[in-house]
Amino acid sequence: MINSQYSIDYFNELPLIIKVVWVFSFVLFLTIILLTIYLKIFRSYLRKKDQEKVKFKTEYEGLLVTYLYSSSDPRKLNPEQEAIILQLQNSLKSASERKIIISVLYNLMNEVSGEMSESIKTFYYKTGLIDYALAKLKNKNWYTIAKGIGELTRFNIVEAHDHISKFIKHPRNEVRNATQLYLVNLFRFNGLHFLDDLNVPLSEWVQVQLLETLQKFDDQQICNIQPWLKSTNNTVILFALKLAQIYNQFEVKDSLIELLSHSNKEIRVKAIDVLSHLYGIEAKEILKTNFNELSLEEQISFFGLLEKLVVPSDEPFVEKHLFHKNFEIQLLALKILKSINVDKFKWLSNSAKTNYNSEMIEYVNNI
Amino acid sequence: MDTSSVKIILLILHYLFFGYAFLSVLSYVILSVISGKETIEYIKKNSFVNYKDILSSTVSPSITIIAPAYNESLNIVENVRSLLSNHYVNYNVIIINDGSKDNSLEKLIEAYDLEKIDFIVNSKIKTQPLRAGVFKSKNPAFEKLMVVDKENGGKADALNMGLNISKNKYVACIDVDCLLLEDALQKMIKPFLEETNVRVIATGGVIRIANSCVIRGGKLIDINLPKKLLVQSQILEYLRAFLLGRMAWSRLNGLLVISGAFGILDREIAIAVGGYDTQTVGEDMEIIVRMRRYMEEIKEKYRVSYIPDPLCWTEAPDSYKIFISQRNRWTRGTIETLKKHRKIGFNPKYGSFGMISYPYWLIFERLAPIIEVIGLIYFTILIILREVRWDFAISFFILAYLFSVLFSIVAIYSEELTFHEYKKKGTGYKLVLLSALEPFVLHPFILYAAIRGNYDYYFNKKKKWGTMVRKGLVST
Repeated sequence: MINSQYSIDYFNELPLIIKVVWVFSFVLFLTIILLTIYLKIFRSYLRKKDQEKVKFKTEYEGLLVTYLYSSSDPRKLNPEQEAIILQLQNSLKSASERKIIISVLYNLMNEVSGEMSESIKTFYYKTGLIDYALAKLKNKNWYTIAKGIGELTRFNIVEAHDHISKFIKHPRNEVRNATQLYLVNLFRFNGLHFLDDLNVPLSEWVQVQLLETLQKFDDQQICNIQPWLKSTNNTVILFALKLAQIYNQFEVKDSLIELLSHSNKEIRVKAIDVLSHLYGIEAKEILKTNFNELSLEEQISFFGLLEKLVVPSDEPFVEKHLFHKNFEIQLLALKILKSINVDKFKWLSNSAKTNYNSEMIEYVNNI
Repeated sequence: MDTSSVKIILLILHYLFFGYAFLSVLSYVILSVISGKETIEYIKKNSFVNYKDILSSTVSPSITIIAPAYNESLNIVENVRSLLSNHYVNYNVIIINDGSKDNSLEKLIEAYDLEKIDFIVNSKIKTQPLRAGVFKSKNPAFEKLMVVDKENGGKADALNMGLNISKNKYVACIDVDCLLLEDALQKMIKPFLEETNVRVIATGGVIRIANSCVIRGGKLIDINLPKKLLVQSQILEYLRAFLLGRMAWSRLNGLLVISGAFGILDREIAIAVGGYDTQTVGEDMEIIVRMRRYMEEIKEKYRVSYIPDPLCWTEAPDSYKIFISQRNRWTRGTIETLKKHRKIGFNPKYGSFGMISYPYWLIFERLAPIIEVIGLIYFTILIILREVRWDFAISFFILAYLFSVLFSIVAIYSEELTFHEYKKKGTGYKLVLLSALEPFVLHPFILYAAIRGNYDYYFNKKKKWGTMVRKGLVST
């Protein structure tokens, strides 16, 4: 009693700043104690969750595999399948269990095709999982909407089109991208029409995913890409150029030639790439004429094309660039010369007058 | 000087120390809050991302992994195997054998069925010349691998050779002994591909400590807390630095360093600035500062990105001697970089890079150990002169200590709420206990190493990298 009274008196006599420091210290100390205690509870909770996840995952995997293999008709459910749906409907009330069931379904969707995937879709409808996904679209959080769209994409829910397509101009690019992927995953090339009036950039990340999605389909009948090659959105043009290259769009030649004079360098370089892929010799002649007006990157790209399509009549052009200041063009010119006129290449390499990079000559000589 | 003048000087000193400590604590608090926001945003953004398409796509951008090796024969074969087991499709691996004196090259030739090929290097960046040459595997299973044997020139020189040889748009510069998770490349490439308005020039990732972890076939199987207090303390330190510090700087686009252990660079910009600086021991920080400076000077919008996923695991020093040598080098690297680019500091021409990032590094990283030591000396003098107000000293000491413990606990929470890598029972308490011990078992050595680093920088110019003896990660 005397000690505590002494402490109180001592504290009261301290300068204000020290009092404040002690109060802060006490608050910090208390916070540390509380956080330490809570850490134990929190870690135990996480461990329990992990264990439950493993347990439920095994359980649900078994049930869903039984569900899938117990009938061959995806449209008609047998009693066993109905019992499984009923059993799982109860589990769906818990958000964490719903999450596990969806992740198991995702994995199964990746492994099965045809009727099996139709069966999964039926399950998705009958259990009411679709309602949870559609409810996500009404959420005010952008990431919940994006998650909902992603889920409906994975389960091929064409019927959600009207609910989802309205997000194509969403202010968050994550939501827009999820919508774009939904459209292409479900409506293939027809889903690409969002490009018609896309006025925000299409990231390379999404472009890769769209191209990868399109390549998975058996039906490779592509729609008209011409309008996209004339788009005012540079990323749309770049994407259309990739489509032209992958799907051999020979009919867009004039647009490609026009793109050679586009203000964006990346587009010009890609146009050279596509032209050389599609039209070969014809493209080569056009580019050869304009060679000096090309940027260094374009010139390197052109020499890459020339290496594949060179003919003896190109020799004077190649010779002109044997001493180009750029290493890559110099090397390519030398390689091309060797392929069309070995004697001239040998003369060049032996010539005492030449001040050519001897290491490069030796390298080209050996290959 | 009369007594009143001395008293005024002492008072000014007190306020300076107090102001510095207060600003330092405030910056930690602000950075933690920003980091929390950034982490939440990152997790939200990536919670619905399907990485599978990027992983398997042949139209995804190509990446070259550049891994310099010097006398790594002990683990080189397993390490290369780990690098070759990444799930990304479009990548290749260039191992630069930087004039190793051991049999690293022979081991690689034998293990991967390598043969010498004709190759010409476009020396955009000047490096030491090739020694035995360039090797590729005869076995198609290892077609992604290229081994380059060159004369010794140091890590930066080896990385520059890799930059010269690579033809890909992006280069992942890593330490050969690091364990890269299989999904590391697709996660690290994402920031480069998703930005449309700014050019991402580099991306860094979290480095985690793999001592005592179980690794099988180049894969991380089991994560354990190491037994040694020194290594445990470094885990806590890394959690604080990566999850609370760098995450916040990433949001502010103010990162000045991407760990040399694992980072991806835009090759075009890296070459445009002349590659890694071979004259510094902090080449990883220096190249990022130089790339940023270059982008500011050409007035192109850019970003240095950072992702918090635990993708790269490395071996931390487990002896105080090696630890001090490592931190000594880090200090010298920081001094060299900040000195070399001093033009940036407090220069509004460089925007937030010059007005926030650089000054922060200078004041709270570069000068911190010096100010701390001055403070300790000053405190000792006051004790000798019996001028210490113990009620003040003790209360402030306790406050500072409790703050440092709390800050570490926040880092632990940050880890638990995001990646929860240390799942084993009892680890949580051990980490909290470490938070209480770390200011005594690790911090004094960091301080000592930093002071030694300063001394070596100014008075022992010959000192370069120092040795980092590695025992190899636990492989079963």
